[in-house]
Amino acid sequence: MSIRSKARSVAVAGISAAAAFGAAALIAAGAAQAAELHHYDSSKRSFWEHPPADWFLGDETEAQKGLNVPAAPATGIPAEQIEKTLKQIKLPKGFKISLWVAGVPSARQMAWGNKGTLFVGAFGVGNVYAITGPEGKKEVKVILKGLKMPTGIAFRDGALYVADIDRILKYDDAEDNLDHMPAPKVVYDDMPSFPAHGWKYLVFDKHGWLYVAFGPPCNECLPPTSVSQIRRVDPENGLAEIVALGVRNSVGGDVDPRTGDYWFTENARDWLGDDIPSDKLNHISRMGEHFGYPYCHQGNIPDPKYAMGHKCSEFTPPVLKLGAHVAPLGMKFYTGKQFPAAYKDNIFIAEHGSWNRHQYQGARIVRVIVDPRGRHAKQEVFASGWIKGKQDYLGRPADIVEAPDGSLLVADDWASAIYRISYGK
Amino acid sequence: MSVRRTLAWAGIAAAALAAAGASSAEDLAAAKEKARACFACHGEGGISRAPETPSLAGQPDNFIQWQLVYFRSQTRKVEVMNAIASALSDADIRGLGAYLSSLPPPQPPGEPDDRPELTRAGAELARRNHCASCHTERFVGQGAIARLANQQERYLLKALRDFKSGVRRGGGVAAMPDAVYPLGDDDLRALAHYLARFR
Repeated sequence: MSIRSKARSVAVAGISAAAAFGAAALIAAGAAQAAELHHYDSSKRSFWEHPPADWFLGDETEAQKGLNVPAAPATGIPAEQIEKTLKQIKLPKGFKISLWVAGVPSARQMAWGNKGTLFVGAFGVGNVYAITGPEGKKEVKVILKGLKMPTGIAFRDGALYVADIDRILKYDDAEDNLDHMPAPKVVYDDMPSFPAHGWKYLVFDKHGWLYVAFGPPCNECLPPTSVSQIRRVDPENGLAEIVALGVRNSVGGDVDPRTGDYWFTENARDWLGDDIPSDKLNHISRMGEHFGYPYCHQGNIPDPKYAMGHKCSEFTPPVLKLGAHVAPLGMKFYTGKQFPAAYKDNIFIAEHGSWNRHQYQGARIVRVIVDPRGRHAKQEVFASGWIKGKQDYLGRPADIVEAPDGSLLVADDWASAIYRISYGK
Repeated sequence: MSVRRTLAWAGIAAAALAAAGASSAEDLAAAKEKARACFACHGEGGISRAPETPSLAGQPDNFIQWQLVYFRSQTRKVEVMNAIASALSDADIRGLGAYLSSLPPPQPPGEPDDRPELTRAGAELARRNHCASCHTERFVGQGAIARLANQQERYLLKALRDFKSGVRRGGGVAAMPDAVYPLGDDDLRALAHYLARFR
């Protein structure tokens, strides 16, 4: 598909609640206010290649100057040093953490094959990895390289799915061809090509819908109607539908084993301050509901500029406020038998940690206990100890996956490693 | 550069190498030896004389390491660099980062500014686009963020164009396109001119 026709089909995808909502919001904005706001003309091809810049919005304060995204050590962290860090990680009684494998550069989302291979996506380094071999002798193989920020991967019916910013690729019989991956099929490409918030997380439900979030190309802006949303894609026929609107940057989610509902983590806007707004855990209880971005943050803070008369009560509030700048990424419902019974159906969230905050927070794993309808939610810190001083890291948890034995594996894109958290012996 | 300054830099270089953990004499020798191959194109001491080839001297350690990792993984595609980096081990990359970052950085060009109006425009663009937020006030870079000050002008222009067109991937992939998307080619020229001559 050409870029031109892609832009058109993105526009077509927006014929829906999204388009109606966008139009209403523009009218509500009023001419005087709208003049001060960044707005997009997404009808032109150029937008989908180069959206206007407003990462910083030009409104960070003098006190916030100099905050920027920290970079991990380029070649990862040697195993002996990681072992030392893991000794300092705090966990509830009875749990322990160990190094499962090191040397997985910028490791992000993980997915199990059905023959025991762990597939791992990556952020800056455009690799996808396969990890094979017995415990203690894990081998890391680069099976794909040169992709565009392939953070999001999924596995279903023998096929590996990889999000390559503007297309979702399917590699059939992946596990039998680790040394020579087959040419991929493009199963979906109705996706913008810009990298800003373009990296993805992929989640299948049991019916074969593939959930994928589309972030806005900005920190805070009035985005065009076909981003700031979560779609679900049917890779069999390339059709998609919108399941959530008003979503900023979501790079984590899971399907509730109790109900089949999709839950997701969401990173809130930057530059409002060290302590607001909170990042979120959300639950989609009906198709197409709106989670507030860019009008309302954390369920109760109207954006100082972009609220434009909207009230937070118009939008679905989060199930849980996770904290400001904790950067929740991958999450999983716990379905295993190894952990104590109280952990069943709890959610584990990998918090990547701050950059837009003077004292970093997050960089930990949080446990959330919540009922299937999103009520009575409470959270507690499950694993922590990766922050070094004010603005440095020893590691940054990025994703979680359950191992067949019920232990948890944690991907860390700072240390370029994967850890195992187990309970009991 | 004065002899005194060179000696001071040599002292800093030795200290930096020790701090970086490339501490043994063999590591130092190995990194220096490997870097000689770099200098064939990137200039003696990592100070480039070729307009489209960047100076490496004084680039931040982690920036050099990340670029080599991107070249090795073909995330950043430059044929000659992809070939060279494919043969580098993690230890080589750490050694090169420590050594090259320890070399005295390039100095502002000696001849007078032939386009002062371009320099002024570049300074204003740098301010408006928040370049210093990441690259620091003196544009010396930090962490995995490049030193821009006194880099080759045509190379700076090439890098800016590559970020704008999306050819350049890897680090800064969110922030850099964001900074350059709204800029026209004249803006990019002004920025490159300003940064290459920065004092």
